[in-house]
Amino acid sequence: MSTKSKLVLGLALAGFLGATVPANAHHAFSAEFDAEQPIELKGTVTKLELVNPHSWLYLDVAQPDGSVANWGFEFGAPFSLKEKGVTKATLPVGSQVSIQGYRAKNGKNFGYAVTTVLADGRAVKTGGAQDAPGSQAAAQ
Amino acid sequence: MNTSVKQPSSRFRRLGVAVVLAAGALGLSSAVQAAAGKIPRLANGKPDFSGIWQTTSAADYDLEPHANRKDAPPFAGAVEGGTIPYLPKALEQKKKNFAARATDDPALKGYTLGVPRGIYYPEPFQIFQRKQDLTQVFQFGHSVRTIYTNETDHPKDPYDWWLGDSRGHWEGDTLVVDARFFNDKTWFDRAGNFHSDQLHVVERWTYLDPNTIEYKATVEDPQVFSRPWNVGVILYRHREKDFQLIEDYRFTLDYDEHYPPKPPAQ
Repeated sequence: MSTKSKLVLGLALAGFLGATVPANAHHAFSAEFDAEQPIELKGTVTKLELVNPHSWLYLDVAQPDGSVANWGFEFGAPFSLKEKGVTKATLPVGSQVSIQGYRAKNGKNFGYAVTTVLADGRAVKTGGAQDAPGSQAAAQ
Repeated sequence: MNTSVKQPSSRFRRLGVAVVLAAGALGLSSAVQAAAGKIPRLANGKPDFSGIWQTTSAADYDLEPHANRKDAPPFAGAVEGGTIPYLPKALEQKKKNFAARATDDPALKGYTLGVPRGIYYPEPFQIFQRKQDLTQVFQFGHSVRTIYTNETDHPKDPYDWWLGDSRGHWEGDTLVVDARFFNDKTWFDRAGNFHSDQLHVVERWTYLDPNTIEYKATVEDPQVFSRPWNVGVILYRHREKDFQLIEDYRFTLDYDEHYPPKPPAQ
């Protein structure tokens, strides 16, 4: 490992230590998402925002009537995604993913991703809210 | 040379040493240097921007020239040439943002202000500086920005940071900062001037005198602007006794009752 990549890793770690404590406490699952509305969607990635305290993954999802709807999913914190090997390069715009999660309470096309299956078949678990169904804080 | 000339000069020198020692003990060496008319410097000779700074300009209300508005003091503008060169589609979005500014300004939601807005937001911010980096602390959104001055490059697998990734280098006594890899969630001002995640900012920080910084930034975003444009403000050092930053919770007070989150009702 080069000095530079060590430095980048160190900086990333510093960012992680600084960011995840508030990230866990950022908001409750129940404030925005509905445990009674599990959803499972397949779609094409239109955008991945690697933003703290948690990222957002946007998909175009084909509707039964032939139209396309854009869905946004609350996704993992950037550093926890990096730990799982997920970066902008491994989850590019245009790739196919399927997501299991829960729909937003406001009824719009938003959700909370729990398991995301990437184009290469890898399954990535995200979602660290302490009150999320089946979630442990460590699962983030 | 006779002694009557020597005496005052050596007395002056002794006094000077005593003042510097006392000031150093109190952590006021930069203030003493400022009083002497010299800009503060780090041990390595580079300008030391440490201190609490604030603009007096109305740039945050609207970077472009404006007057006769109920929600903003009149201002001749901080953009070189007056107007921001939007692409046609982006100009439509800017107009929508302007119309909805009373509710849609990200700063009103307590979001981190971004770059360069945090610099000319009309509240103080603090700089701590070392040889290898310069840290900026804002009293808004718990924001902390690091500008690396250790000759490192931007990371190869970046995030979409609220404050971008900032790498600085020195051109004489000017600190030149390259900031990129932003998200698209911040505005430049409360008039709805905006950018995409392709934003790239190059800043130039230069002392005009020991208590005044000239701040200039070149803003580039091929998704939103037809060409790069320049913005500039002057920053003044806070010299009030015991002046300090205090986190600004104005825009999140209404949400206090929801935090910390409560467990779901059984």
